[in-house]
Amino acid sequence: MDKKLRKIVIAGVMGGISIFLGATRLGFIPYFSGASLTIMHVPVIIGAVLEGPIVGLATGFIFGIFSLIQAAIAPTGPADVWFVNPIVSILPRLFIGPVAWLVYRAVRNFREIPAFVGAGIAGSLTNTVLVLGVLGLYRYLPWKLIGTIAVANGLPEAVLSAVLTTAVIASWRRIETRRGGSSV
Amino acid sequence: MAGSGVAIDVKRLFHAYFPGTAMEVPSLKGVDLRIEREETIGIIGPAGSGKSTLLQHMNGLIRPRGAGYGDVVVLGLNLSDPSIDMRTVRQKVALLFQNPEDQLFERYVGDDIAFGPRNLGLSKAEVRERVQYAMDMVGLPFSFKDRITEDLSGGEKRRAALAGVLSMEPEVLVLDEPTAGIDPQGRRHLMEVLGKWLSRAGRSMVIVSHTMEDIAELADRVYVLVSGQVLLHGSTAEVFSSYGLLKKYGLGIPTAVEITRFLKKEGFEIPPGVVRVKQAVQSIQGILHGRKI
Amino acid sequence: MAGRSDFTVSIKLGIGQYVATNSFFHRIDPRVKIVIGVLLIGAAVSGNSLLGLGLIFFLIWCGLLVSRVQARLAFITLGKMLPYLVFLALIQIFTVPRFHESPNVLWQWRILIVTGQGLISGSLLILRFSVIMLGLSLFSYTTTTTQLLHGIEHLLRPLQRLRFPAHELALVVNISLRFIPILAEEAEKLMKAQASRGADFGIGRRMGFIKRMRRMFPLFIPLFVQSLKHAYRLVEAMEARCYTGGRGRTNLINLRAERRDYIALVVGIIIIGGLVTAGLFNIDAFVWRIFNTRV
Repeated sequence: MDKKLRKIVIAGVMGGISIFLGATRLGFIPYFSGASLTIMHVPVIIGAVLEGPIVGLATGFIFGIFSLIQAAIAPTGPADVWFVNPIVSILPRLFIGPVAWLVYRAVRNFREIPAFVGAGIAGSLTNTVLVLGVLGLYRYLPWKLIGTIAVANGLPEAVLSAVLTTAVIASWRRIETRRGGSSV
Repeated sequence: MAGSGVAIDVKRLFHAYFPGTAMEVPSLKGVDLRIEREETIGIIGPAGSGKSTLLQHMNGLIRPRGAGYGDVVVLGLNLSDPSIDMRTVRQKVALLFQNPEDQLFERYVGDDIAFGPRNLGLSKAEVRERVQYAMDMVGLPFSFKDRITEDLSGGEKRRAALAGVLSMEPEVLVLDEPTAGIDPQGRRHLMEVLGKWLSRAGRSMVIVSHTMEDIAELADRVYVLVSGQVLLHGSTAEVFSSYGLLKKYGLGIPTAVEITRFLKKEGFEIPPGVVRVKQAVQSIQGILHGRKI
Repeated sequence: MAGRSDFTVSIKLGIGQYVATNSFFHRIDPRVKIVIGVLLIGAAVSGNSLLGLGLIFFLIWCGLLVSRVQARLAFITLGKMLPYLVFLALIQIFTVPRFHESPNVLWQWRILIVTGQGLISGSLLILRFSVIMLGLSLFSYTTTTTQLLHGIEHLLRPLQRLRFPAHELALVVNISLRFIPILAEEAEKLMKAQASRGADFGIGRRMGFIKRMRRMFPLFIPLFVQSLKHAYRLVEAMEARCYTGGRGRTNLINLRAERRDYIALVVGIIIIGGLVTAGLFNIDAFVWRIFNTRV
């Protein structure tokens, strides 16, 4: 199987998943009173772990562009006002994949499963920190508030991303996570 | 053959996809249908006639949209009533989609079959019992529970999918093209399993199929659905004797009926009501023996 | 109406907002539209001229009317966003003064200060968003997905010479968009099959967070895994049809620029360039002074 073609297709498929989760709002998991945790960045992380940083970059780019378009054409809240700015929506997202991949490679020498967890957390935090960071630099939000959001929203989101990333890749690569058989 | 009471009662059911928009597509236009307990109903019809939509009403995946759209009453529960517990409906009426092996999602076979019982909130011991029962019903050895789902053969996967639905211990089994895409041996086995399941009291079954032999073998009555309406219904023999009408809508008839029809035309005596292969064989043997005399 | 759990996954957003009315905007080459779109976003985000932005807003409004695409939805959405816009503008108005050396105070009440710069800042915020919103909406009403994909591929092609993987990137975008309907179908099938076995995804209900996560996992994981399987099958299918990469590939449909496309491009660049220069040369202040002296 042609490696390059495989990377292209995986990038495309993961990009499609990201768009799909965003467009149907299935990727918005309601958290507490109004706020939600999002998982649209998880396909970016998975793509990066499976196929490398360039795939992560491409998928992150698609994620970013789509979040801009969605903010412009179908906005639903104040966040969309900020996301029409590509520096908020596209630039930070380019880093999700490469960072996740780096962490994956680093932890992989230790063990596989923690590597997936690490990649999930790192990728998610990259998204949170960079996006909020840009919002702060633009002075769209006061830093105090940004800190609160980062902790209250960003940390659980990182955990969720780690769990989802690990579950998907372990299932795909047929890696045993716990037991060697059914739990029945 | 009909038992006590009505299992599913569909009255003047209407349905459209994307109602009220520019893309509205009507799919059911006033369907009346009744399934009694201990009865097996076959539903046949050309593609796009609304069969899938109708089936999805039976376990409440789709509900009648409101007044004027009709009623669906399942085991005494009216689906237009917003207060009913859908979980109960889904447990009592189990719907198995086409190519169910594509929907196996758990890593291990046992976990996938246990999905239903677990959703019902049963205890670990009860879940295990249910899985064992279901696997036994479909002819999968219990040891398969630790196999990786991916590694099963097509036929085994389909049986696992069926087990996943039987483990809920439903009262009505609704099947969409149950024998599509499997080899004759697999089909044979599946029909046996279905027959075995039906033999217990109080159970009903609904089959949608393009394989008329399946309908002939299992169904007591048949509904013919065309363009969202019931064109014809009656006992299996009655419906399949309307050859011209069925042919007009591109529907076939069971081979047994085809052959005996031909023989009747040629002047041979065939008793009425022959739809199944075994029956046809018997009639033909009767003719051959008659000739010898 | 009886409560319905709706398992049809409908894509509520998308470049499928295309309305076929064959206006001037519909017929412009998609490459021009993409270039102008990108420039527009860049300028809107960085432009500092209220007048310039206002003018562009007005022009896009006219464009929406001219192209007869029944842009009512776009305006309604903009209206819905107004409260948020005003709210955020207010935040801008009240926080900006802190960062200015010589605030031109217009009004003050305790710690709330309203300055001229603050007002400008707030208004810019509203205009920036509105311009991008209406602009992209106009774009989506007048361009089909296919046109868009062709436009992207053709635009990126010259970059191939600079060793930028243009063809590959265009292909990735293509696959992404084409994959979405497949995903929708898969998701719907999975949801229906699981719901038929008693699964409850907790959509539209108040539910503890961990519980909801657990409910959604049996949906997400198979969705991802099956998508990966699809991906591998697609690779095999492409290879089976002798796909060997972008080198030397030709296209069945080739975009050809016509005179109107060049005109549109030039006009677009002029207008956007105007916005940028207006900001750079502080045209706003200039016009304001003229206005004041006149009066």
